[in-house]
Amino acid sequence: MRHWIFSCKQISRLISESMDRKLPLSRRMGIRFHLMMCNLCRRYRKQLLFIRSLVKKNDLKNEFFCQALPDDARKRIKKELSEKTKEEQE
Amino acid sequence: MKNKEEHDAVQWLDLYGDALYRFALLRVQNSFTAEDLVQETLLAAYKSYENFSGKSTVKTWLTGILKHKILDYYRKTTPEHSDENLDDFAGSMGSMFDTREKWKIKPGDWGGDPKNVYQEKELLSVIFACLKNLPPRLSLAYRMREMEGATTKEICERFQTGENNCWVILHRARALLRRCLEINWFQEK
Repeated sequence: MRHWIFSCKQISRLISESMDRKLPLSRRMGIRFHLMMCNLCRRYRKQLLFIRSLVKKNDLKNEFFCQALPDDARKRIKKELSEKTKEEQE
Repeated sequence: MKNKEEHDAVQWLDLYGDALYRFALLRVQNSFTAEDLVQETLLAAYKSYENFSGKSTVKTWLTGILKHKILDYYRKTTPEHSDENLDDFAGSMGSMFDTREKWKIKPGDWGGDPKNVYQEKELLSVIFACLKNLPPRLSLAYRMREMEGATTKEICERFQTGENNCWVILHRARALLRRCLEINWFQEK
């Protein structure tokens, strides 16, 4: 019994680890058991998952950062590309 | 059949240059590096056009190449030696819990999720600002994992450390990011 009783500090670490790998059964049971009783750790877990889901929304990120490729960079890359691709064709 | 016009790096630049640049900039946070990555991507794409199956769109295909370039870039840049940073952090992390390892700085009630896309965007801008302020190693590990979907194994290779350490690094990054958001976003409201 004792080995699946974890402190909040340990649970916060395990919650994160569970986002990176499948934890052994005893750890998963430990988390579930702890979360049943601990409102703060439940909240912590929910917030981490929420941040993850937000960060993963790709389209939103692209839309959010509406910077365009600067003109000078565009010209430079274009020049480079035309030269390099011409070499290939010759 | 793929036609000839499509095999044109300059045209790709015109069509997808902005999108690729944004994609890169978000992940490397340095405009010069982002520009270089776009150029490398287009050149690599031009050279490996044979491999383009045509099953996805050109944009998706180019983005895939760019992703690889970004991961390469992460691998090449040497991680700042910031073990001190990590120790500092261990201190600040420690103080989130009391001596009985219960929450001292309690996770606050964030209320409901953001109501609309506009709010989500604002929140995301805070997330990126927070990421910039994390110790570089933590920020990099976090971006590799959550934005590029790198495995912890890849992150371990990058930091030349064992898996256990990687999980701790990611745990710390998440904890700090969460706390930063709480202070700068949720407590403001």
